[in-house]
Formats: sequence, structure tokens, C-alpha cells
Amino acid sequence: MVEEVKSGISQLLRERRPVEEPYGEKGYHLSVDMAPKDLIDVGRFFKEKGFYLACALCVDFRDYLELVYFFAHHEGHCRVKVTSRLDPQAPYAPSLSSVFGSALWYEREIHEFFGVRFEGHPNMAYLFLHGGIDFYPLRKEKVMVSEEDRALLNSFRPEEGEDTFFINLGPQHPSTHGVLRVVLKMDGEYIERAEPVMGYLHRMHEKMAENRTYLQFLPNTGRMDYLGAMAFNLGYVTAVERLCGIKAPPRAQYVRVIATELNRISSHLLWLGAYLADLGAMTPFLYVFDDREQILDILEGITGSRLTYCYFRFGGLFNDVDEDFITGVRRFIARMRGRFQIYDDLVTKNVIFINRTRNVGVITRETARQYGVSGPVLRGAGIAMDMRKKEPYAAYGEFDFSIPTGSYGDAHDIYLVRFKEMEESLNIIEQALNGLPEGPIMAEKVPKKLKPPKGDLYHVVETPRGELGIYIVSDESDIPYRMKWRVPSFANLMVFPELVRGCLLADAIAILGSLDLVIPEIDR
Amino acid sequence: MGKEILPVRFAVLDKVLNLARANSLWPMTFGLACCAIEMMATAMSRFDLDRFGAAVYRATPRQADLMIVTGTVTKKMAPVLTTLYDQMPSPKWVIAMGNCAISGGPFAFEGQYSIIEGVDLLVPVDVYVPGCPPRPEALLEGFLKLEEKITKTRRFPGPEKRW
Amino acid sequence: MIEDIVGKIGQEALRLIIGLVGVVAFVVVNALLLTWMERKVAGHMQRRIGPKEVGPFGLLQPIADALKLLGKEILTPKKVEKPLYYLAPTLIFIPALTSFVVIPFDAYLQVQDINVGILVILALSSLTVLSILVAGWGSENKYSLIGAIRSVAQNVAYEIPLLLSLLPVVMLTNSLSLKDIVEAQGKIWFVVLQPVAFFIYFIAAVAETNRTPFDLPEAESELVAGYHTEYSGMRFALFFLAEYTNIFIVSAIATTFFLGGYRGPLLPGILWFFIKSYLLVFVIMWFRWTYPRVRFDQLLNFSWKMLIPLTFVNLIITGGLLKL
Repeated sequence: MVEEVKSGISQLLRERRPVEEPYGEKGYHLSVDMAPKDLIDVGRFFKEKGFYLACALCVDFRDYLELVYFFAHHEGHCRVKVTSRLDPQAPYAPSLSSVFGSALWYEREIHEFFGVRFEGHPNMAYLFLHGGIDFYPLRKEKVMVSEEDRALLNSFRPEEGEDTFFINLGPQHPSTHGVLRVVLKMDGEYIERAEPVMGYLHRMHEKMAENRTYLQFLPNTGRMDYLGAMAFNLGYVTAVERLCGIKAPPRAQYVRVIATELNRISSHLLWLGAYLADLGAMTPFLYVFDDREQILDILEGITGSRLTYCYFRFGGLFNDVDEDFITGVRRFIARMRGRFQIYDDLVTKNVIFINRTRNVGVITRETARQYGVSGPVLRGAGIAMDMRKKEPYAAYGEFDFSIPTGSYGDAHDIYLVRFKEMEESLNIIEQALNGLPEGPIMAEKVPKKLKPPKGDLYHVVETPRGELGIYIVSDESDIPYRMKWRVPSFANLMVFPELVRGCLLADAIAILGSLDLVIPEIDR
Repeated sequence: MGKEILPVRFAVLDKVLNLARANSLWPMTFGLACCAIEMMATAMSRFDLDRFGAAVYRATPRQADLMIVTGTVTKKMAPVLTTLYDQMPSPKWVIAMGNCAISGGPFAFEGQYSIIEGVDLLVPVDVYVPGCPPRPEALLEGFLKLEEKITKTRRFPGPEKRW
Repeated sequence: MIEDIVGKIGQEALRLIIGLVGVVAFVVVNALLLTWMERKVAGHMQRRIGPKEVGPFGLLQPIADALKLLGKEILTPKKVEKPLYYLAPTLIFIPALTSFVVIPFDAYLQVQDINVGILVILALSSLTVLSILVAGWGSENKYSLIGAIRSVAQNVAYEIPLLLSLLPVVMLTNSLSLKDIVEAQGKIWFVVLQPVAFFIYFIAAVAETNRTPFDLPEAESELVAGYHTEYSGMRFALFFLAEYTNIFIVSAIATTFFLGGYRGPLLPGILWFFIKSYLLVFVIMWFRWTYPRVRFDQLLNFSWKMLIPLTFVNLIITGGLLKL
């Protein structure tokens, strides 16, 4: 696949040629640099080949702004980085939103953080930042907001129609969604249009990454997605290790897998309880917290935290596992297998639940490709893409597990996929425990002040919500030059306005719950 | 004015009302970030908050008397928070849970442009519960402290002061 | 002295006054008891204990709640329609109180045995719907309005199966008076003769009182709090209490019509009445903590397309069998 993409792009752009990159060090196979005017042609080429836009970001290199796009494929194994340089005084670029729907929000984000203007974009209103901001935050020097952008600062104004009215879902929710506000244009009980408004929890993680050393940034990763903190930790730690060329010992890799899978189970359990609480059944919420407490006790024994972990270090772990941990995990596995029957009886076979979730929010393969959906939402639609199997990291390659997929792509299938994923995680933990090697938990010769070599890296892991991408640009100092987090909930939320058009309000709640959004990772 | 017309003291009534208010604090669902999960864990079966009569979470501010601010308050969220606080009928109380609500937490760095460093810059706070996130036992202790503040008596003996 | 007073008012009127006072007292105590029971039942079903610290077994918890609600600031939002906003809480409590006049607690413990007893109750319970609509409209709030509209559609749809499922029992006893219906269950309870009618009545009753799985009008995760979003303090308490009183009333009617009312061996009649009614109340609470919410169009479909034809079939079969 890499070869045909390379030849295809060479034919398309006669003057620039794609360069093959070492995948093990960089995380992508090809990189192409082009003039801004060729972006739409290249985008269309990738769309025909069946690629999706994984991420779009911008890096401020002081003399120029560099727009970076990552295209990847669901089934094949090829990731391409497309870059284009812009003049910092007049940053204009064509918009890819006519080709890929996911570009809509990525370009809005680049615009409000860097000041890049995209021509042809239907709606350039501010996405994350609050109305009082008057500079572009992620630029290296302070650049004030231009005149034409000032008008866009508070430009989201819903207009009332003849027979329609607007209601707000949030930002204060009686459920675990977090601070997401969805403005719904209603026609009676039916929804005509939905528009999510984000940024109520924008905590400047990317700006903090440019002000903190690699080790000082580690606690931030747990706060981005507090339910899947181990996976975010793991992604960051393996990314920096890959950048510096450090290899963690096998025992550390196995323990990392066990901890991450335990965290995955607890995240899915909480999703289960919260989803049912949204639908009206309060009791499963309490049962799942009971199971979760067992996991939290086990993990607290080795990490010291209950929720926002910071367990991994560059080169391994900071604390070894002990006998209590192993016996605790074995007892937990035995108990959890029995609990699945309770949830099956109470929830999966409940007629009311099936009626609420069958044929609600059907996601087709084309929609999934258009928006870059990932995780259980994608697997419910029938595409079996799981980063643990596709690009194995941290000892996942040594275990034998299957990837559950659904067939219709509705909310019920997504529920079943997550349920089966919990069972698969139990299998992985069992295999890892049985094969836990002895040895050191920390690699030798890890420098106290990490100074990675100059370059960039795009590292991908699988969190409970989907594909997390970490892009680090390093300039040989101990502070990252730019760090971009491509979070799965952001891409999953993009599908929401499409799915709820014409639905009832109760269905909108069911769809929003099935996407499993965690707002701090969207708002970063 | 009223106290001059009727030269009667309402001390006993005040005491009874305060006891009733302390034993029936209804929180408003206002989970912002990570601390919200620990607040939910406090209301669940292991650390049951309903023992103290407090787990009737009301979604509307008009029927709640306690606002537990769990998580970071950003500048975009601040008007929403003050509106909700104004909509609550008095007597009302605020618990600031977690380091972010107390003083900005780990996100207060030089050059920050988006968070409010502490919710007590917006609304008056009664009890501060530190931690990132605080354990459910810490939130329960904060709760008991609030009850102590309302009724001036302590329900369970607290930990001994060492200094 | 007492004979003078009795002579002046008349024995019947005195009995009426004592009965009404007793009813009001019972309604208040019952509402408090049911709030306690709900939280305890919820707690035990969720593997925890409910209120425990406030008094022994948490029995003083509802009193603490009531005192706190009494001591709250009386807040009226600026834009509400004042007459409707003030009227709604009082209006919702009227049918609850007046329905108790005809319920037979024991053979001679009924305030007034009106000979069209069940008609009185059903007619007045439609006022509940009206008061919900008044509350939702008067609040000038989109969420309250949506909640009120849902509630009206739901109550209108489920009133018909409610009525039609009580009709076979009336046909069996040839009388609309509640006392006669209980007396007619001497040999066999009507739940054995009319099981389908009992189930349909129970489902319609759960829908009428806006309880889960039919609690869309106050769906918390969708609509903040439905029709009583803008009410605070004692006004909200009246809505709350009216809901629990309605639960007891529908259980009491189910007991009277299908489970033999106050009839039973050994124990005094009133104790049997309470045992049966509170058992049904417990089942209604059990529903709340087990099932998710039914979607709105599925709810209406269920009533119009399934329950109503079923009640008609039941009526025809009962009528046919009675003729033979």
C-alpha cells in the first residue's frame, strides 16, 4: 500500500516527491511537503483511496507556520504526513472541509489558536476559547487577534424560526457527560439541528506542554482523560521512549499491560452505569461503582492514586508489583466473570433497553471514514480496527485476543462491543499474569533530564474511547517544542450532529451516551 | 424591624431549623472535571452519602441548597456558575472540592489564559476540600465540617489535632 | 357540654368533620412515610443503607426534609405568569386530598360512602393533569413546557385503560360504590377472576402517577427537572407530596377493587388494608429502581395500540361470560 500511495502522489504533484520515513522512529511511512494550493487535490486523492483524516494541526516555527495533516487507513497499514508552509504574516490556506467532514472542527481549532485563515470554510466561529481572549495562544510570540477575527469572537447566535425553538443540553448536566453544551433546534419533539459548543473545560494542556519538561508534564496526561488515565500515561511514556530510543524491560511492559487493561475495564464499567443512568435506570450505576471499587483498590496498592494515575516513568515503572497485587487481580478476575451474568440479566435482555437502543444512531462505514471515528464506535459499525492489534506497543503483540465487532452500527451494537471488550481485557490480564517475567522494572541509563534528539514523532495507542495520537516535535531541549494530542472523543463527537438530525430528544440522549465522551480530553 | 415589634427570641427555632437544614442538604449536580467522579463515588454504595440525608441530587438549582464545585472553573464557565449560584434560593452553601476549585490546582502556571484560580473569586465558599482528587473519605469529612458549621455541633469525633 | 355541641351540629356532620381531619392527618403522615420508604428501598436495592444517621433507622429524615423546605426562601422568578404559577401547587393537592373521602379503610372507617365512589376519584384525578399543565405553562420555561406537554399526552393516553380496566369489576358487582365492591369480594378476590384487568390497571396506574418506567415528564437526564423546574421550597414540597399521595391512592384503589380491600382473617380490617396497599406501593418503588425509561412514542404506542384493544377484549369477554 505504501508503494502505490507513493507513486500516486508523485504523479499528482510533479515537482514534490514523497519521502519514505523510518516507521519505527517516526510513526508514519511517508511524508510530503507541498504548496498550500495543492492541498485539496491531495485530499481528494486520499479520499478516493479510502483514507481518513486522522489529525490536522499547526506548528509555529517562528519563521513560518507549518500545517501538518495525517492521513491513515482503516484496513491497510499506511500513515502519511502531509505538510505545507505558511507565511506567519499572512497565513491563508484552502479548507479541506469539502473533502473530509472532520476537517471542519480541526480547522476551526487551528484558526483560533494560530490565526490561520482557511478559505472556503463555512463557519469560522471560535470553538474552544472564551470571548475575552485577544491573542492567539499557541503562537510563540504574542500576536494580537486581527480585526476580521474580532468579529468572530462571540459569533455563535442561534436564530429562532417560525415553529422551532432552541433548547440547551448543558453545560450543567445531571449525568457524567461533563461540561458539554449542545444547542438543539427543536421542532416539537424532533431535532432539526444540533450544534455542540465546547471549551467549557479548556485547561491549556498544549500550552503547558511548551512550558514544562517531559517529566513535569506527566501528571497532566492523567487529567486529560481521567477515566482512562493509564492509557494516556502509557501513550505518552511510550512516545517519549520511542523518541529517545529507550527500551523498557519485559517485566515493566507486562505490568504496564495489566494496569492499562484494568483501567480499561473500569472505564467501560463506568460508561455502562452512566449510560443506563441517562436512560433512566439508576441501579446499574451503583452496581458498576461497586465493581470499580475493587479495581481501584488493587491499583491503589501499587500506584497510590484512585483516579488520576501517574504510574509509568520513562524506562519502566516507579514501583514494583507485589504479592498482594497478584492475588488481588486473580480474585478480581474470578469475581468479575461471575458479575457479567448479572449485567446480562439486568440490562442486555431488558426489553425496554433494547427498544431504546436498537436502530438508534446508525453509523455507516462511509460516515466513519468521513469523520475519523475510532474505538468501540467504529467497531460497532463493522470495521475491526484496534490499535493494540494493528500497531502493537508495550507487549500487546505477545497476547492472544480477539476484536469484537458489531454489524448494524447502532447504539445497541456499540454497547455489546464494549461489553465483549471487557471480557477480552480479562483474558489479556490473565495471560499477562501467567507469563509475568522476573527482572528489573526500570531500564538502565535513563538520563535525569531527558533531551530527545531533534525531530518529530506521531505515536498511536488505543484508549478505552478509541485511537489516541500524540505528536511531539522536539528541538533537543528538555522542553517539548510542540505537543499535539489527537483525542478520540473529539472525532467521535463530530458524528453527533449528523446522527441526531430528525431524531427524538430521547434518542439524542441515547446516542450521546453511546459515544462515550469525556469532555476534558476534547477541550484539552 | 421584626425583632423590635416582637420582643421574643427565636433561638430554639433557629436551632431546630439549622439541625433540619444540616441533616437534609440537597446537592446540585455540578460535576465539572475529574473530582466529579470521586463525588459520585462518595454517593455510591461504598461511601454512602445518603446516610446523612444528602444524596438526593437535584438537577435544578431551584430545589438544591448545596453546590459542590468539583473541578476546574474556566473563564467560559464562570458566568454559568454565577448564574446557577444566583438561582439557588437561600440558605445555600458551597463546597470547593479539589485543588482546582480551591486555587486553580495544577493548571495555574505563568502565562495561563483560561482558568479562574479558585472558585472563591466568584462565589463565597464555606468548606474547602483539598486533594487532586480528594478521596471520598475526605469529601465526607468536608460534609461533616459543613454540618458542624451549620449546627455548631460535631456529629462524629474528628481526628485528634496534633499541633 | 359535649352533648350540646353534638346536638347543635348533628351526629352526621360531626362524623364528617372528624373523618376529614383524620384524612388530612393521614395524608401528611403517609407522605412523610413514603419519602422515607422510597429512600430506604432504593438504598437496599442498591446494596447500601439509606438514611441512617438522622434518628433511629433514619425515621426523622422526612421531618428534617420538611422543616428544611419550610425554611427555604420563597423565590418567584421574575418572568412567570403569577396567577398560574401560584395556583399550580395548590391545584395538584386538591384531588389527592378529596379522593381519600371515599376510600374504605375498614368496614366503618370511610368518611362518606358515596354511591358513585369510583367516579368521584377518577373525575378528580384528571385535575392532576390540569395542574401539571398549569405548572408547566406558568413557569415560562422551555423545559417545564416540554415536560408538561409530555405529561398531558401521557395522562390522556393512560386514563382510558385505567377506566376500562376497572369497568369489568363494576360489571361483576353492579355497583359503583367502593364499599359494595369490597363487600362483594367475600368469597373470592377479583384478581383471580380478572387477572388481565389487574395488570392493565397496574400499568396504567404507574403511568398516571408519572413513575418510572413512564417518568418522561420529569426525565432528569433530558429535561433538568420537567414541569417543576422553577419551583422551590414549600411549593416544590407540595408537588413532591402530591406525587407520593397519588401513589398511595392508586394502590388503595387496586387493593379495593382487586385484592379484597380490608377483608382478611384474624387481623383487624384496617391492618389488612394497609398491608396490601403498602405492598403494592413497594412494587411501584421496585419498578423505579429496576427499569430504564420508555421513549415517548413507544409509550403512546403501547397505550393506544396495545393496552386499549386489550381492555376492550377483556370487557367483551367479561360481558359475554356474565350473560351466560
